[in-house]
Amino acid sequence: MKNHAAEAEKFVADSARAHWHDEALWYVRRKRDVAASQLPEWEELREVAGKIKKNTVENLAYYLELFEREAQNNGIEIYWAMDARECNETVEKILREEGARRIVKSKSMLSEECGLNDYLQERGYEIVDTDLGERIVQLHGDRPSHIVLPAIHLKKEDVSEIFHEHMATRKGESDPEYLTKEARKSLRRSFLEADAAITGVNFALAREGAFVVCTNEGNADLGTAMAGVHIACMGIEKVIPSARELGVFTRLLARSATGQAVTTYTSHFRRPKAGGRLCVVIVDNGRSGLLSSGESEALSCMRCGACMNSCPVYRRSGGHSYGSTIPGPIGSVLSAAGNMDEFASLPFACTLCASCDNVCPSSIALHDLLYGLREDAIKSEAYRGKRTLLKAAAWLLLHPSLYAFVMNLYRRLYPFIPRRILYGRWNVWGRERELPEPARRSFAQIYEEMSDGK
Amino acid sequence: MGSREKILSALGTARNRGFEVELSFPILSFGDRVCAFVENLKKAGGESIVVEGELSKILAREVGDADSVVDTTSILYGSFSYKKGEEVDVAILGADLAVAENGALWIDTEDRYPRSLLTLARKIVVILEEDAIVDTMHQAYERVDFSKVSYALFMSGPSKTADIEQSLVFGAHGAVAMTAVLIPSKRA
Ligand code: SF4
Repeated sequence: MKNHAAEAEKFVADSARAHWHDEALWYVRRKRDVAASQLPEWEELREVAGKIKKNTVENLAYYLELFEREAQNNGIEIYWAMDARECNETVEKILREEGARRIVKSKSMLSEECGLNDYLQERGYEIVDTDLGERIVQLHGDRPSHIVLPAIHLKKEDVSEIFHEHMATRKGESDPEYLTKEARKSLRRSFLEADAAITGVNFALAREGAFVVCTNEGNADLGTAMAGVHIACMGIEKVIPSARELGVFTRLLARSATGQAVTTYTSHFRRPKAGGRLCVVIVDNGRSGLLSSGESEALSCMRCGACMNSCPVYRRSGGHSYGSTIPGPIGSVLSAAGNMDEFASLPFACTLCASCDNVCPSSIALHDLLYGLREDAIKSEAYRGKRTLLKAAAWLLLHPSLYAFVMNLYRRLYPFIPRRILYGRWNVWGRERELPEPARRSFAQIYEEMSDGK
Repeated sequence: MGSREKILSALGTARNRGFEVELSFPILSFGDRVCAFVENLKKAGGESIVVEGELSKILAREVGDADSVVDTTSILYGSFSYKKGEEVDVAILGADLAVAENGALWIDTEDRYPRSLLTLARKIVVILEEDAIVDTMHQAYERVDFSKVSYALFMSGPSKTADIEQSLVFGAHGAVAMTAVLIPSKRA
């Protein structure tokens, strides 16, 4: 099992950096607050978005079939993939048909989830992540630590070193403007030479048979404009009824993600370009299973990242501590619901403060889901020790005279127990806190004495 | 059974559209949509110019001494040619829809030129009638006729990134600058 607390410990070991990370994300969260406050109808929009998503997810087969039919009418090729393996194979099959070797990819959390980069690289394809944050992370041999800000765990000095090593930028030069311009030059070559472009999908419009990709950099637009084939990978939950609903989501997405009123490029793909191919791979990979679970609400997520920026645990533990593709509150829900044995520690990476619920543009009750998942987590093998301990404690509490006896013993022995034992490794709570000195007499004893005196 | 059938059957047998969610709340509106548009485009890093006098003069000024210009509106130059993958200094485009709440302009290539023009032009100049500005994305999508669209986008300002320590830098990949040229409405 992955252990969030142990991983978080590594992150907080560098306390200056952990503090900086916390502040950087809180800054983004505050920008979101400003943007939200400028729309009087903000709360209504969130509510409606949640309803639309819920309705679509509950009738997903209808909307997916409609999307497929309409998209095919528009000349879009539709593929279906049960799992990550089939998604990767399908993408490779299309690349092979096209004789494509050089691929540019814009941000797609689904492709991260499927391990598409590794899959293609192992088979000799050259795949370049074109989102600046993802490019930094890719050159570094690292993984994104945030779904919207993939390189938020790195400082500009780190980026400077990474670029110096891989792109021969000036050593020690860490001006973001300079570094961005150098990345632009280097990536421009990749764009111009690309045979194929892979993108994610932010929203698929069932009635229009079209889909929307949102970026600030324009990398999805440039990549797909140059390459002969455009392959878009989407999870089954990305479909919404029509462009009418898109109005709701485009108003919420960027405001929630970065505090912008809208992403710079909100691009609608409906037909392949002249002489090109436009392919959409619709991927399940565990989502249909989620639909029939108690966590189906998690399928409403539009991947804005607001819950991460708001989460006091995420901000202080970093995205990598979650050990899952998607970190933060929504990542904990998705990972734990999908594979409890592996991710049983994630429902506990939460203070139940509900800050995430209050910002989620799809009105997902994230903290309720996490609370519910704790009940399942505690049943998993990883928590056998804790479970036994809690059962023993419950048993003790159900036996008042035994409890009184044990506590009496503790009060007497307390002065003689060496610190070494009392604050031994087993006492996680005692690591940062002192145990209170036990009162000399218990409440029950005092109460008895007082009523005697009457 | 193929994956398509497996996935669809895992989603249940019901095949209906559920209900249509009502948007039954007051939606933001602006007293002066042009002013709001200009302000919001500015926040997104774009400029605006309201046309006074001759349009072609303003365009000429915007173009400056650029070497390569593609004028898809044929206002400044009679015709244009653009090949996929060409990097140019300025692209002049027309738009017939824009959004006040976020400064986004609806740019539809209408398959008249290769899509790469929109990202390989260093500067994008978009001509727009002020009448074409709507309040929010809701009204914007009501106006779009998708049956004619191949590829179209809402573009709000130049390409940008803040992936290095949250420092905003313009010109991540696409245009480094964007100007909206607004033609005052005839009624005014
Ligand atoms: S759960 Fe909500 S807040 Fe978190 S990423 Fe998804 S949509 Fe955004």
